[in-house]
Amino acid sequence: MKVSLMIMSGVDDGKVITCSTANQDGNLEGDHWFLTLGRRDDNDICLRNDTFASRYHARLHWRDGRWWLEDCSSRNGTYIEDRVDDARVLGTIPIDVNQLFCLGHTWLRIQPDDDYSPDRYS
Amino acid sequence: MTNPLRDILINARQESIRMQHYYIGVEHLFIGMLALQNGLTGALIEEQGLTPDYLIDAIRRTTGKGVKLRMWAGLPNSPRADIVLSIANDLAIERGKDVDQISERDLLLAVMEENDSVPLRVLRKLNVDTAVLKREAANRQPKYEGRQSYVQIEFSPSFSALDALNDDHLFILRRMFYGHDRIRIEKKLAGGYSSAVLLLITPTNSEGMEEAPVVAKIDAQDLILDEAQRYDLHVRGSLPSLTARLEDKPTTADACEVAGLRYTFVAPPNGRDGSPMSVRELGAEKIGHWLKSELFPTFGKTWWMQRHSYRFQVWSEYDYLLPPVLTIEFQQEDPANPPKHVLRDPIRRGKLAEIEYGDVIAIEGFTVQRVFRDKGIVHIANGRGSDAAKRAYKISVRGMNLSDAAYYRGEPIERIVGRVWKNRDELLHASAGAIYPDFDTHAAILPGIPEADPLPNPLTGYTALLEQYVNGTLSKIHGDLHLGNVLVGTHEAPFLIDFAEARVGHVLMDWASLEMSALAEFVVPVYGSNWESVREAARGLYAINRGETIASSNPDHDAAFRPIKAIRSIAGECLNTPDKWGEYQVALAMCSLRAITWDTMSVGGRRLLLYTAALAFHELQSRPSRTGFDTDTDMGGTPLET
Repeated sequence: MKVSLMIMSGVDDGKVITCSTANQDGNLEGDHWFLTLGRRDDNDICLRNDTFASRYHARLHWRDGRWWLEDCSSRNGTYIEDRVDDARVLGTIPIDVNQLFCLGHTWLRIQPDDDYSPDRYS
Repeated sequence: MTNPLRDILINARQESIRMQHYYIGVEHLFIGMLALQNGLTGALIEEQGLTPDYLIDAIRRTTGKGVKLRMWAGLPNSPRADIVLSIANDLAIERGKDVDQISERDLLLAVMEENDSVPLRVLRKLNVDTAVLKREAANRQPKYEGRQSYVQIEFSPSFSALDALNDDHLFILRRMFYGHDRIRIEKKLAGGYSSAVLLLITPTNSEGMEEAPVVAKIDAQDLILDEAQRYDLHVRGSLPSLTARLEDKPTTADACEVAGLRYTFVAPPNGRDGSPMSVRELGAEKIGHWLKSELFPTFGKTWWMQRHSYRFQVWSEYDYLLPPVLTIEFQQEDPANPPKHVLRDPIRRGKLAEIEYGDVIAIEGFTVQRVFRDKGIVHIANGRGSDAAKRAYKISVRGMNLSDAAYYRGEPIERIVGRVWKNRDELLHASAGAIYPDFDTHAAILPGIPEADPLPNPLTGYTALLEQYVNGTLSKIHGDLHLGNVLVGTHEAPFLIDFAEARVGHVLMDWASLEMSALAEFVVPVYGSNWESVREAARGLYAINRGETIASSNPDHDAAFRPIKAIRSIAGECLNTPDKWGEYQVALAMCSLRAITWDTMSVGGRRLLLYTAALAFHELQSRPSRTGFDTDTDMGGTPLET
């Protein structure tokens, strides 16, 4: 399993971070794979430069053939993009490839990478 | 030889530092281009119906302000900014220029090409077609020349010389009707009580053919652009098929503080459509019937009739109507002299009451509402909850240095410190002073209505009401429904204009607000404006509150109240609980209290509305069983203090 995330704002805007099970990234439990996101270095996706991000801010889960975003009771919240007001993520919600989400002040998205296709995971 | 990229980079660095970002991202480069004098980017954005300032604020809201602490040295480029600069570089070389000759257009096209940056996401959110923008940019000469336009403006004989328009208004009108041969300004629609100017205009196209009349609205840029966004969000999909619509983008100009909107009337296909006229012209006799048989059913289907139960605290729907709760003078925080009070959500009435003139206070967790750049004033407000609640507990902060630090609308303010200079009571009493009261505005009781004795003074009683809970209903509402915004077209079709306050909110606000304007415009002229006449009119309103007949030998008095009775009958259909008028009296009290602060309304109108608010308080206090304010379990709050 492999996934690329692109940072969509801030000083690292445009940076792509790739995680894969082959590289021992994330946590794999059966067919449930999850990545941790936060300010601390020991996260799979480390947002070192965002002081508004919590140390362990959120998790991305691959489960039941799709991606899920979980907010880990972060101080400043996790949001998904919306036309009017960005919506705060409470608990775990489904998230689509290309859909923007925000931890602290950092916007991210899961890349629709060529390497990425759900078929590869089945 | 000038280097345009250098100017853009200087602007971009300034923006990054003002926002405490300390890096150069595509958003800073884009703002750098928008900030150029006579730039291509700014001109293209205006053609899309936005302004550079408006877009800059929207970009700032998306990125948010950083913290003072710097986590790296210098101002590095973000990876995406590097990509954009290298695309721009390629474009410059394709044009046969050197690397240091990147033009604004090269950079703009590069941002468009990259397509994923913050500013482009913001543009798409603002409904700008970025593909069109890219095409327009590609079609321009590298050196952009502003477009020329001249449209002749004529005035019809019924346009009063007293309504003279200023140069900015004329400039915006010429731009709005660009491509037309001339326009004739038929009349100024005596509009609302704000700064907006509403004009009925007949355009003549370049072939000399007169087109159907339109209404042009001109107001402050921010307000016009917000209205266009609100219209897309709340109004566009919910209008009856024949009515006024915003078909075009707003008209803006860099050098102008005002901007314009054009309402197009969609009239029945058969027959020549006459000019829409103000609903006032129907007169007190006919208007009531028309409101009930035309306006309410036509717009009601998608607006007021689609209502849901809604339990709210009065402040969350109505506090924003009132003047700033505090006016403070900005101060740097002094550790030796900590603030005496800290205001944060939830705001308590008791806490506000403790704050005195000269106190240093801190405000936490508020949001920037409006920035008055030239005056150094920032309005901040509660910032949470419904559309109206976000604007509640407005605090005006004076003495801000807005060139050093950027403040933008929607910015969350973690903490701000200032010295108290004025409070809301003082502003309200000053407004009451302007209508030459013949009584003490600080007294608890208003004089002169024997049947409603004691008559509570709304200027002293309103704070208690703000904390009451109301069981009401919620729907799409106009938010600023008054006689100036209601037009009548062919076959008496109802047209509403001015959607700047359209939102999902308390249903009865629209009708209370319409009653407020009908009292000022139909009742006061018949009764008269001096205090004695106003009290006589208030006694008529008291009779309506009680469902009694108006005791007057003058038949005109009864006729003047007919529109009010019609509005009450519509409001009665919209009550959450049949015959419990409390929620309506709350709305009427707050709308009337607000009107006292409008110096654009006649003195007589403001006098009657002060009594209208007082009578609403009287109803709430003296007849709890009919208003629905009787039990704690019913309303969930403490009964009103008397």
